[in-house]
Amino acid sequence: MDFYQGKVLRIDLSAGTSAVEPLNMEWAEKYIGGKGLLLRYMWEEVPPKVDPWAPESPVILMTGPFAGTNVSTASRLVVGCKSPATGILNDSYVGGSFAPEMKFAGYDAIIIKGESSEPVVVTIKDDVVAFVPAKPKYWGLKTSAIEEAMRRDFDEDAKTLSIGPAGENELVWACLSTDQYHKAGRGGHGALFGRKKLKAIAVRGTGSVPVGDAKAFLADMYRIHTEYVLTEDNLWANEEGTPVLGQIMSDAGVIPTRNWSSGTFDQMEGINSDAFIKIRTKNRACYQCAIGCRQFHEVDGIAGEGPEYETIAICGANCGIGDIAALAKFNQECDELGLDTISSGAVVALAMDLTEKGVKDFGLRFGEAEGYLKAPELISKREGIGAELALGTRALAAKYGRPDLAMEVKNLELPGYDPRGAFGMSLGYATSDRGGCHMRTYPIADEIVGGTLPPDSLVGKAQKVISGNPAEGMIGENFSSVKFSGIWCDFWAITPEQIAQILKHAWKREFSEDEVFQIGERVWNLGRLFNLREGVEPDDIPQKLYAAEGAHTTGASAGRSIGTATFKAALQEFYQLRGWDENGVPSEAKLAELGVDVRL
Amino acid sequence: MPHVMISSKKCTGCHMCELACSAYHEGAYRPSVARLFSECNPTTAAIKGHTCLQTGCSKCQEACPNDAILTKEITVKVKGEFAGKEKVGDTVKGYVLVVDDDACTNCGECYDVCPTGVIHEHPTKGVAYKCDLCDGEPQCIAFCQNPHVLAVDLKVDKKDKELAQA
Repeated sequence: MDFYQGKVLRIDLSAGTSAVEPLNMEWAEKYIGGKGLLLRYMWEEVPPKVDPWAPESPVILMTGPFAGTNVSTASRLVVGCKSPATGILNDSYVGGSFAPEMKFAGYDAIIIKGESSEPVVVTIKDDVVAFVPAKPKYWGLKTSAIEEAMRRDFDEDAKTLSIGPAGENELVWACLSTDQYHKAGRGGHGALFGRKKLKAIAVRGTGSVPVGDAKAFLADMYRIHTEYVLTEDNLWANEEGTPVLGQIMSDAGVIPTRNWSSGTFDQMEGINSDAFIKIRTKNRACYQCAIGCRQFHEVDGIAGEGPEYETIAICGANCGIGDIAALAKFNQECDELGLDTISSGAVVALAMDLTEKGVKDFGLRFGEAEGYLKAPELISKREGIGAELALGTRALAAKYGRPDLAMEVKNLELPGYDPRGAFGMSLGYATSDRGGCHMRTYPIADEIVGGTLPPDSLVGKAQKVISGNPAEGMIGENFSSVKFSGIWCDFWAITPEQIAQILKHAWKREFSEDEVFQIGERVWNLGRLFNLREGVEPDDIPQKLYAAEGAHTTGASAGRSIGTATFKAALQEFYQLRGWDENGVPSEAKLAELGVDVRL
Repeated sequence: MPHVMISSKKCTGCHMCELACSAYHEGAYRPSVARLFSECNPTTAAIKGHTCLQTGCSKCQEACPNDAILTKEITVKVKGEFAGKEKVGDTVKGYVLVVDDDACTNCGECYDVCPTGVIHEHPTKGVAYKCDLCDGEPQCIAFCQNPHVLAVDLKVDKKDKELAQA
């Protein structure tokens, strides 16, 4: 089979052993790779109702079939687990070069189970897997240092997926890092690495990914890049990158500001795209990406990649920080400690809010850089105020009797889009299969950027959240599910028809656009079944985001509210359109129609 | 006379060139045996390109005790929709250094003298391998397609021109 290696590497940390088994190609045909194949493996590998922290609860690394080829942007890795934060599925994506290196080493997937008795690093050089004690040399290192150590001690071309101190301390929003600046950020995979006492996996692959008729494939990829990738629709990411969204979202009343008390940030000019362009030094690409969206900056001696929009929104505007140097420093601290910036910024903003409201003094105030910059390290060590902030927004707000101030969905902190300025996001957040997330559907693309859908209405949005609006580059849940099975990056506005053209090379048959969508819907329904099996909270978002009394009083979205009844009705409309019952349970007819091969 | 260069200043480190190179020559994606490479430091994002300078260097040929590095005439046509400095789609005639697999004894003399580190022992063939400009249509240049980047390019230097005129 071309493109797939056909092999899964199993790592048992309790026993300190590894084994290779064939990739299930029947599943691969149904679910492609990436998200779809990950969820199918999770269905089998995650014991039902397991405690996410238990040794038998796996972390799975899954590649897409086109990692390690010239298919632009398809180098992404997806990391999956039953999230210790949400108790449901979490698929977290990361760019860089780890997934291609895994493929060159010969593996489509790595399934990690067990718990090591002592901290350990796993090294993989092609078919040689070694378990190296992580103490005293590696345990405790920050993310840049562990990567450097792997290049020095294991292989100069090693690609490393690691945790920083936050993961070692099992912080629930600790992330996985690779190529230093790339994070599988959300859902706490880093916390599970920490619990399993797995500091890092370093991989070096010198083998090959089969491609069939290489010259024909190269010619087709050349054409696809020219016609579909290097176009105006995608090159914005290379030219400006995600900081461009900052001013747009602030002007539209969408950027979360001072713990979601406004949608417009009065100091936006300090951290908008123009401000970042002034301190920009370099532009880089992930492995096998012709676009290249990674923007490097240098300010006040802080040099590195990012921050990206979500960090600008949640760690900038949402913390009242309009000082670009402070924001860059906070971003760097989170990167080095291995902390997800969205959840970090959200909990700091909550602590600022609790302080300013006189509920509890954390010594943190909106816009004040000093305490803000100390927070990431304190959180990662659970020291001082960090001991309480490490609870996360939901538990911290509950502890002080203000659950209304925690901005999360299913205990995953919300990213940088306030639904009061773009109503479609309310449904996107509520129905997201991993909790508070903007990556499953992105109504923003049409409501704010494209501008063909009214941002202040939910009429017709349930259908858009499911199917998207491809003409305006708005991704829906079904399409994102197949796109992330590829695994194509969000920044290539690929179409179902283009996906069909590429899948044809792997499976040597034609795919229709309908089939591409159907694969996505199959994956989405599989994810829903997994979440129902594990016990998912009702689909909802913080009440103030739709209730009339929660409307903003300042900024461009002031006075707008979805209305509780309208929101609840739209959610029921969503279930109906999906072929799910009023509790969001997929019908047998729908599962059969889609060819989903598991049942509750 | 032509040779490939990677501009360390322009390169984004996407490695598309290495991938295309390996697929063209190996029939599978295997960048560990690509004929050129872009070395990218993940922390500083500093980049250094490594390519064969062909007859502009010739150190491998000079070091070879078996005359296994041959000077071959070649006509190079760069594939590219976006015109860069040299990347104009013009035809360039000249010479390229290629390995004669039958004559190569894998003695390794050339591996040690190559100033850019782009001639090595092939992992399966057991002889030296190096850039041959893809029979005149360099895939590395073709796949450096981003119009804002165009880091992998064709160069012609003075010594090459002299050789062509001789």
